Amino acid sequence: MAAPELAQTDPEGIEGVRMTWLNWPQSKVEASKCVIPIAASIQPIRPHVDLQILPYAPLRCKTCSAVLNPFCRVDFTALIWVCPFCFQRNHFPHYYSSMSQTNLPAELYPNFPSVEYSIQNPQNFNPAVAASPIFLFVLDTCMIEEELEFAKSALKRAIGLLPENAMVGFVSYGTQVQVHELGFSEMSKVYVFRGSKDISKDQVLEQLGIAVQGNRRAGPGMQKSGGGPSPVAGAGPNMGINRFLLPASECDYTLDSLLDELVTDQWPIAPGNRALRCTGVALSVATGLLGASTTGTCARIILLVGGPCTEGPGSIVSKDLSDPVRSHKDLDKDAAPFFKKAVHFYDELGKQLVSQGHVLDVFASALDQVGIAEMKIAIEKTGGLVVLAESFGHSVFKDSFKRIFEVGEQSLGIAFDGTLEINCSKDIKVQGIIGPCTSLEKKGPAVANTVIGQGNTTAWKMCGLDKSTCLTVFFDVSSGEKSDPAGSSQLYVQFLTSYQSSDGQMRLRVTTVARNWVSGSEDLVQGFDQEVAAVVMARLASFKMEMEEGFDATRWLDRNLIRLCSKFGDYRKDDPASFTLNPCFSLFPQFMFNLRRSQFVQVFNNSPDETAYFRILLNRESISNAVVMIQPSLISYAFSSLPAPTLLDVQSIAPDRILLLDSYFSVVIFHGMSIAQWRNMGCQNQPEHEGFAMLLQAPQEDAQLIIRDRFPVPRLVVCDQHGSQARFLLAKLNPSATYSNAQEMMQTGSDVIFTDDVSLQVFIDHLQRLAVQAS
Amino acid sequence: MATPGGPRSGNFPPNYNPNSLANNMQNLQINQPNQQQPNNAGGSAPRPPPNATPFGQQAPAFAGNRPGPPPPGVFPRAPVPPNAPAQTTLPPNMVSSRPAGPPPGSQPPTFSSRPPPPGAMPSSIGRPVSPTPPASGPRPGSYPSSPLTSAPSTPSHASASGPVSNGPPTFAPGMTQSGSSFPPAMGGMPRPLVGPPQPQAMLSSRPSSQPLQMRPSFGGPPTALSSASGQPTPPFSGLPRNMVPPMGSSPFSAPNTGMHQSINSPYGMQTWPAQPQQVTPPPPIPGPMQQPPRMFGMPPGGQSLPNQSMALNQTGQSKIDPNQIPRLSQSGSVIVHETRQGNQANPPPPATSDYIVKDTGNCSPRYLRCTINQVPLTVDLLSTSGMQLSLLVQPLALAHPSEEPIHVVDFGESGPVRCSRCKGYINPFVKFIDQGRRFICNLCGFTDETPRDYHCNLGPDGRRRDADERPELCRGTVEFIASKEYMVRDPMPAVFFFLIDVSMNAAQTGATAAACSAIKQVIADLPKGPRTMVGIATFDSTIHFYNLKRASQQPLMLIVPDVQDVYTPLESDVIVQFSECCEHLEMLLDNIPTMFESNRIADSALGAAVKAAFLAMKSTGGKLLVFQSVLPSAGIGSLSAREAEGRSNMSAGEKEAHKLLQPADKTLKTMAIELAEYQVCVDLFITSQMYVDIASLSVIPTTTGGQIYYYYPFSARSDPAKLYNDLRWNVTRPQGFEAVMRVRCSQGIEVQEYSGNFCKRIPTDVDLPAIDCDKTIMVSLKHDDKLQEGSECAFQCALLYTTVYGQRRIRVSTLSLPCTNMLSNLFRSADLDTQFACITKQAAIEIPSAPLAQVRDQATNVCINILYSYRKFCATVSSAGQLILPEALKMLPLYTLALLKSTGLRPDGRIDDRSVWINYVSALPTPLVIPLVYPRMIALHDLNEKEVDDSIIPVPIPLSSEHIAIDGIYLLENGVDCLIYLGDNVQPNILQQIFGISSLEDIPNQFILQQYENPLSKKLNDIVNEIRRQRCSYLRLRLCKKGDPSGMTFFSYLVEDKMASGFSYVEYLIHIHRQIQSKMA
Repeated sequence: MAAPELAQTDPEGIEGVRMTWLNWPQSKVEASKCVIPIAASIQPIRPHVDLQILPYAPLRCKTCSAVLNPFCRVDFTALIWVCPFCFQRNHFPHYYSSMSQTNLPAELYPNFPSVEYSIQNPQNFNPAVAASPIFLFVLDTCMIEEELEFAKSALKRAIGLLPENAMVGFVSYGTQVQVHELGFSEMSKVYVFRGSKDISKDQVLEQLGIAVQGNRRAGPGMQKSGGGPSPVAGAGPNMGINRFLLPASECDYTLDSLLDELVTDQWPIAPGNRALRCTGVALSVATGLLGASTTGTCARIILLVGGPCTEGPGSIVSKDLSDPVRSHKDLDKDAAPFFKKAVHFYDELGKQLVSQGHVLDVFASALDQVGIAEMKIAIEKTGGLVVLAESFGHSVFKDSFKRIFEVGEQSLGIAFDGTLEINCSKDIKVQGIIGPCTSLEKKGPAVANTVIGQGNTTAWKMCGLDKSTCLTVFFDVSSGEKSDPAGSSQLYVQFLTSYQSSDGQMRLRVTTVARNWVSGSEDLVQGFDQEVAAVVMARLASFKMEMEEGFDATRWLDRNLIRLCSKFGDYRKDDPASFTLNPCFSLFPQFMFNLRRSQFVQVFNNSPDETAYFRILLNRESISNAVVMIQPSLISYAFSSLPAPTLLDVQSIAPDRILLLDSYFSVVIFHGMSIAQWRNMGCQNQPEHEGFAMLLQAPQEDAQLIIRDRFPVPRLVVCDQHGSQARFLLAKLNPSATYSNAQEMMQTGSDVIFTDDVSLQVFIDHLQRLAVQAS
Repeated sequence: MATPGGPRSGNFPPNYNPNSLANNMQNLQINQPNQQQPNNAGGSAPRPPPNATPFGQQAPAFAGNRPGPPPPGVFPRAPVPPNAPAQTTLPPNMVSSRPAGPPPGSQPPTFSSRPPPPGAMPSSIGRPVSPTPPASGPRPGSYPSSPLTSAPSTPSHASASGPVSNGPPTFAPGMTQSGSSFPPAMGGMPRPLVGPPQPQAMLSSRPSSQPLQMRPSFGGPPTALSSASGQPTPPFSGLPRNMVPPMGSSPFSAPNTGMHQSINSPYGMQTWPAQPQQVTPPPPIPGPMQQPPRMFGMPPGGQSLPNQSMALNQTGQSKIDPNQIPRLSQSGSVIVHETRQGNQANPPPPATSDYIVKDTGNCSPRYLRCTINQVPLTVDLLSTSGMQLSLLVQPLALAHPSEEPIHVVDFGESGPVRCSRCKGYINPFVKFIDQGRRFICNLCGFTDETPRDYHCNLGPDGRRRDADERPELCRGTVEFIASKEYMVRDPMPAVFFFLIDVSMNAAQTGATAAACSAIKQVIADLPKGPRTMVGIATFDSTIHFYNLKRASQQPLMLIVPDVQDVYTPLESDVIVQFSECCEHLEMLLDNIPTMFESNRIADSALGAAVKAAFLAMKSTGGKLLVFQSVLPSAGIGSLSAREAEGRSNMSAGEKEAHKLLQPADKTLKTMAIELAEYQVCVDLFITSQMYVDIASLSVIPTTTGGQIYYYYPFSARSDPAKLYNDLRWNVTRPQGFEAVMRVRCSQGIEVQEYSGNFCKRIPTDVDLPAIDCDKTIMVSLKHDDKLQEGSECAFQCALLYTTVYGQRRIRVSTLSLPCTNMLSNLFRSADLDTQFACITKQAAIEIPSAPLAQVRDQATNVCINILYSYRKFCATVSSAGQLILPEALKMLPLYTLALLKSTGLRPDGRIDDRSVWINYVSALPTPLVIPLVYPRMIALHDLNEKEVDDSIIPVPIPLSSEHIAIDGIYLLENGVDCLIYLGDNVQPNILQQIFGISSLEDIPNQFILQQYENPLSKKLNDIVNEIRRQRCSYLRLRLCKKGDPSGMTFFSYLVEDKMASGFSYVEYLIHIHRQIQSKMA
């Protein structure tokens, strides 16, 4: 199923923006008839070879502060530009005077809808210092020895990879939280916080003895000592946060030996109980500690957690092992007593982090759940990374963790302190954003009444973002008549993303896109991007499942799909056989079919943690990645042919084929029966079967290609037909052959799937029937 | 227990004591390391392994003791010709220590003779050869066989000057120039001769007519000197080289770390006789009956009461002969006291005197003393007398080393025999009837069945035939091994947790360094063994714990920053077995002062730190030793500078002045009760230079059985030595944990109240997280019925406790006193020291709750009422102009006057000083109460001229400025402070000799006593050391000069003078007299 779109290498282009509808319906009514909402998926800092970096400050419109862009009308003689959003006339400053029709500044080049300004912040007198990012590692010690060793070695490697100027802090926790004072040379020194008691940022700072200007609280009895310097004034160089955060170059030895000596949590665990693990308080303390750094510093809390929080705020389950960790069922039935409290706790924590501009990354490695579902809100709001693995020794964790700190091509391009602002033409309203960001509550005329996700604003905070970060912006069309004085049918949206790049520079990415208002259905159809539409529907469905009680995602998707087909299909009424869809829509039903079967909708196969994890990634990954999550890609390798994409169907299985399934979270190499036998016989080692060896090798290489570029690193499953691991493949395939129709459908050597799920064919049949019914 | 005679007992070191406490004490006395240092340098001196000392001994000792023959060290009951038994008491192992003695030329070998703990000493080598009488007692096999392997080698390198050998006879006199204690007179006795047979030169000062005391001991010369006045207290020793605290050396030794010390340690080398044991002459010396001491001898049937009367007339002193007014006269000689004679209780000697007790049925007065040694039959009789009936109980009091150790009795699984009704313990006064099948409890009168396996027939005298073999039937004090039913849990380990203030002030004043250095030196003296656990934490505005149990190179510091709501940072590893963390701990203690050197945190979260340490200790209990320097200003239980507030608000302050002596709030009290509940005992070492609100803080030690040590104003120069010695004595003195005490009385008398340092939870019991030899509890008694004429009234104190080695014991002391219905008998048998101690303690209790004037009046009224009663009902002479005082209580007016002028009752004292005084008095042993209020003053400038009899300490001078000469130097001590007063015209040569300085002006404020090479200086050092030993206190030495504030301080102790705070002695007598007269009228 090689969709033509997939062949397109760079659908986002330099803009980094993809929209469900390339052309916009002109009125609100029409827009609602389109079924699929008008939404844009943007990757705010996606790198592009053609991207221009301008070493000067952008020109902004006097009234709406939109930035000069190729869509502005420019009067080269008068040196005046007209803002396309508010039609304000602005004068160019004198240093633009040499500009002419043929000598355009980069930001006016029509080919460059995206440019990036590199801003020298005048206040930032010491960029070297301000630029150093802070990495505060928070390590759970309630694990078995072996796991802790894995985690420790991963940490050591990570610290080795950090740039020399990166500031490092370390917090370990179990039943209690231990903040390690790395700057204390005489001996290992830790501050211990009790795990059972929530602690505010001020308390953390006070108790750590960190001075915060203007926040000094004169306790009773503080005055009496008279004479001496105030105890918390932090006069000494060693009084402040620098005791806890040190440049990597200075503390790597300390940290190394500290990690060597670190042992698993020593508090006793009563029989039949879970370890007491105070993840919540540990994060509170870490947040508080970072709160001492000046706002605007780039800091990440990197949490390595090995089990559920059972102590203090943020607990997700009781200490008693006989109480299982909440399941989706429990959540549905409101039978998860800890859930709401924990979510509220992490919500507050997230707000605190956002206000400080800091990021929470979670690396969870446990067989049980650790509470990602509860922490999701804090992770998403801060734009943190999350990796869920089974063990700290597993490559899913190890390699993902390493990638955060890598530089160069493999780098995630981690950036900090991002702010996204949207300017748009008058009749466009912004409903909100689904994705890793937080609303800054910046009101304006472009704010829609209805809110989706982070809304009520035209500006968002992204404490952490990287080059693959993707946001889905939902637009609405204002209900009034279009009144464009220029008579233009064009509409403009400008995305302004300011951020601090990983090398410490302040950047402003300006992306201005122009789209057309159209009235006819034909134009709409041509401008439909079914991949984006599928992803947007998936994100929206997930969002609604979380936010709306009793939301039936399957029904909602079905109904929307039917409505869409009714509107845009060609058919005769009540004649299913007459139904055809425009090629622009042709893949959409299949996407929906797979979405309905995916982990995003069928949550009951997964734990709430896994669901939360999948959704976080669904929301933050690019369209093409998200499409793979919804509908995995399947490539077939055989002797007779070149590797080729094949149908995501059980019938693709053949004894002499190797299949490579990429479902984003896992990559499965599936050997057909015969291949497996040959391989087991060792044919690949015999010189006469060099071809077989190459056949075996090809999918491995392709899998590595996929794995190398992906974050989090997917789980690689190598399996054989009829092997137990084969379920990773079978679960994703269209069950066109099941035990009920095995006889008629089954080809030789293929397989059947033991399921009652309907196959794609049945689904399409039903869809056609329903779509042609009179609405 | 018929003793087999002197020789037998002589086989054992007199103080060889199976009982663990006694062992502990022995431990205290070991001084060798000091001594031997020089030898060690030489190579192979047989030095006892430091760790080996205390216990090996213990086990053999009491096993099988119960029915068995008396333990070693028993003295003959019957008077024995002087000298006879004494000789034999030379410890077997003593010889060996000799060779180890320092070569001449080094310090005088003062304590080389220190008895090593038996068995631990390799030295016993000499023993076999010595002609000791055959040992017949249960003698632990350990010491004859103790490893002496190194001994033979010793002589070879001992030193050129002293020919040394291990055979006793070979001791060269040269080596022992200090003289030995063996008088030549010993002639006929089998003399094992262990000590150097020595020239008597040193002894020459002793009147030869007096029986020489032979020190059973190991004959070191200095000991001989001390013996005359020695009290059984443990020794304090000075360290010759202070940097290395000797392990196992005596409790007070010279200071620590590099504060200033030269080899000549300022504290005087070891000059005081270190061994308690040698101190006393063996029993025979003054026969108990021979020479009844004045004050307590009661002539049988004496009709006339001894009085002292003085002519006083209304108008004034003119008629008073100042020489006639009663003054304390100390008898220098040691008294031997048998607790019962002729089946009658024998009134004890004064608590302040030097005596040796022979337990012949009643317990030693050290353990139980009653204010009146006869019990009034009725409450009316008692109230008529004006006296009170109270007991002072000091259950673990230090015994005189020459006394027989307490017998340990093991009844096995069933536990000790007790009365089934009142639960009183079996004691010598229980009457067996019905051929021994039943017994009548002497406390409640109930008749119990004798347990089958405890049955024994009665002899013709009605006593059980085995009465003399069973300590519980013939001794006033015995110790029972507690059976399972006395344990709610396994006996707790000995846990020592040190908590050190490192806030800015503490670090800057050197208090932190002093505490760390003291602890570092002291840890070596902690009880050894797997049951000793230690922990340490420091605190400023946060609490810093240390994980000492780590495989790593250095300890981990764990900070608890939440001082409002504390917790312990680790479940385990904060308190660790001592043996596991010794090195870490030492390293840590070295590091702490530098680590916090520049600490800028002024706040101190004492309450929170105590709470956090408590949480760490909660599972075991133990001793929490807290070093604090400033007013706690953060966290739980933080306090405010109330004193200053009181001062600024004068009007309210005046009215409610005593409120400042009460705790500020309930927080600390609540905490203290919780601490006590979990068997945590807190001792506070306050090294402060400002107000710290002792009134509030003292609640913690007071409730938990601890005490306050107060160093104000703290001096980094002169105080560390005292801090170290105090701490050392604190951890090494005999003590017990998780104790419960109850006093039972015969029918007709009941306990009204207990007071002292302990936790009151239920009225009948005293809960003591820890109890030590210095703690005394006052038990006030009341009649609930009339007593039987002609009967005896018994008091029994039972203390259930855990020894430092983890044994559960019950120490039972029984005192049975005659009853009387004669008022005159009451006055005759009044015990002045005990009465006055009770008066003082009661005053201390009342000070915080009543206006000062009222407390002062009350003290005077008590005195007046007693004297009035005597005057009215007993005195035969009744001239109106005469003040008549009962002989036994003649000092009462003087002491009362002194009390009114004491720190606690003086109107002008600092609040903290008074709080400290109150706290100090509340647990103070009887013998220390009188010196506290009526200090001892002696002249120093004429030491050379005066040949004192045989005691080290010259005769005290009355506390009156008339006795202060302008060219004199005087030493005044009250058991806590020691003031040396310099007159204006002191001869420069004397100054030079004593202080090494020729002019008054050059004398530094912060004074450290040093020893110079001249007799005067040496005598002074000897005196100071002897006082330290007597008082079990290192004393804060201060110099006072006339015209200086320090001079004022000195004069404020001269209680017989008229001063702002009260009458002169004569005026006071007149005042009392007038009051009595007005009552008579």
